[in-house]
Amino acid sequence: MRHIMAKQQQTLLERRYSMLGLFLIAPTVLVFCAVIVYPLISAVYLSLFKIFTPTLEGSWVGLDNYRVLLSKGEFWTSLRANLIWTVGTLSLQIIFGVGMALVLHQNIWFRSLARSLILFPYFISTVVAVLVWKWLFNDLYGILNHLMITAGLIDWPIDYLGSMPNAMISVILVGAWKYFPFVVIAVLARLQSIPDQLYEAAKIDGAGPIARFFDITLPQLREVLVVIIMLRAIWDFKEFDLIFLLTGGGPVTSTQTLPLLVYKEAFALNQMGMASAYAVIMMLIMLGFMLVYIRRTRSEES
Amino acid sequence: MADVVLSNVNKVFGTFTAVDGLNLDIRQGEFVSLLGPSGCGKTTTLRMLAGLEFPSGGEIRIGDRMVNDLAPGQRDIAMVFQSYALYPHMSVGQNIAYPLKKRGVAKAERTAMVAKTAEMLQLTPLLNRKPRELSGGQQQRVALGRALVRDPKVFLLDEPLSNLDAKLRGYMRAELIELHQRLGRTMVYVTHDQLEAMTMSDRIAVMESGKLQQFAPPQVVYREPANRFVASFIGTPGMNIVDGELLQENGRWIFQSQGFSVDAPNLGPDAQSGAAAMGIRPEGLSIGTGPIEGVVQLVEQTGHENIVVARVGDGLRMTGRTNPDQPVRAGETIKLSIDANKAHFFAEGATGKRLNKAAATSDGPAKSQSALKEATS
Repeated sequence: MRHIMAKQQQTLLERRYSMLGLFLIAPTVLVFCAVIVYPLISAVYLSLFKIFTPTLEGSWVGLDNYRVLLSKGEFWTSLRANLIWTVGTLSLQIIFGVGMALVLHQNIWFRSLARSLILFPYFISTVVAVLVWKWLFNDLYGILNHLMITAGLIDWPIDYLGSMPNAMISVILVGAWKYFPFVVIAVLARLQSIPDQLYEAAKIDGAGPIARFFDITLPQLREVLVVIIMLRAIWDFKEFDLIFLLTGGGPVTSTQTLPLLVYKEAFALNQMGMASAYAVIMMLIMLGFMLVYIRRTRSEES
Repeated sequence: MADVVLSNVNKVFGTFTAVDGLNLDIRQGEFVSLLGPSGCGKTTTLRMLAGLEFPSGGEIRIGDRMVNDLAPGQRDIAMVFQSYALYPHMSVGQNIAYPLKKRGVAKAERTAMVAKTAEMLQLTPLLNRKPRELSGGQQQRVALGRALVRDPKVFLLDEPLSNLDAKLRGYMRAELIELHQRLGRTMVYVTHDQLEAMTMSDRIAVMESGKLQQFAPPQVVYREPANRFVASFIGTPGMNIVDGELLQENGRWIFQSQGFSVDAPNLGPDAQSGAAAMGIRPEGLSIGTGPIEGVVQLVEQTGHENIVVARVGDGLRMTGRTNPDQPVRAGETIKLSIDANKAHFFAEGATGKRLNKAAATSDGPAKSQSALKEATS
């Protein structure tokens, strides 16, 4: 009854508040349109043309770009590389991240120092980090090969970045190293908010350390892990700089993920229309991630 | 037979002594409250019994076992936490079943035991709900259910009622008493609420600064407080405590304070001349006639009685009770008298020992019980 009344007559104050609301969100909406909606629409639009990048001259081809790309082997190998990279690096980030968060949650010495140091890979610029790793990995002068040969683990230097599957493994490892601190911080924040009394109750109920991890810690981390996995999956899926700088997609195209392929089409092969078509496909795949993510968060709320 | 024994138990956190040389003998089936202000060591004591805290010294026995080196899960105890500590991702049924599951009870048997416990606590319709969908009182009952389900030797309860509203607290208090009578299990109950301790316990252990002050049945704690701390801590409104001096005159003891003196008829052999304190409960103070003059500062009306706070002499505040029909107003000058037979005398100091003869008071337990109810209601 009251609900209907409210709909019928809105007071002046209420109307003023809604005007104020519109006024306050307007800047965000405008910026959002300028940097997200416009490029998105143009990408879809451009993907329907055959465009020569330097001159930006093009001709209408309709859905031809999509037909070509879906029938090309390169798209599928890149998608495969992209999925291997995403799943591989994400799993390692989660495993190391949760493990490290559990360690840092304990009362260990230098805990606060360790907590700051752990963020180091995440803070450091990707270019710098990759250059350091490239030197570590270098097959002739790299310290990794040197140490392993000195330790007698290998007889010959390993080509970490120039052969498969080494290159993919190296990229995945560097990605895990670079981004696991994000998982550590998010998980640690959640761990600290789990009430101690739950663990104490479980101890009294007869649960050992392993049972306490699976019956309390893990269920309590579930929600935050869902969010972390979704976010990192999206970010890792479209990761460009780290892979591009480390291997450039090589050897040949074995670590060439979709973002690298988009870049190659647009600026090496000068096919802006084709690149846009790849980008749109990528977006559709990520839209899949997004839908899962949104449904997830919705069901958590209800 | 003693069921839970603490012998000379200490607990030190860094430089802070939380529990200091505690000795307690708790009999089988007894309901014992650990009562004291916050920081007195009562919760630490309970946590040491549970095995969540390790004693720095001394010995803890449960039943015939020394449990100092046993993990909480092996001590055959159950604990109810102040925050209930229900597992949020498990349903009510799973919460109650958890301790059974961890002890390897078979599924069919588990289900039957959970059903029985749920019925006893009227939780049957809620078994599939999650804790966050329950009210405070329901969560409380689930926490109890999780403790009850495996029939432990000793129940430990850490201020279980303090998160409930006043009405529900009164109800749960009665439920707990009934539960204790039905189960006949040893229960150790931590509280800072004297009303809970007084109404539920067989014996109360009053603690302060990590030390046991008195361990006795509620009526004894109320009528014969072992020292000044216990006297001032138990009773609402609190006992009036007056500093003064004990003198011996013509073979009888007299307590003298600012502007008035009282006979001290029941002193025991420990009494000495010199600085001492007298305690008198508000019901031992009669208002209307008497040798002491005071100015009424405050009258609190509770409905069935008025509580009168008066200033006597130089800033001393005395609290008494009057019938609500007796007209007393703030600012009035009134006469007071102290019933010397109801007075308690304590040696000097915050925990000065009681100096009265043992079992000094003459009124029977029934009367004191009713006085107690008034005092705490």
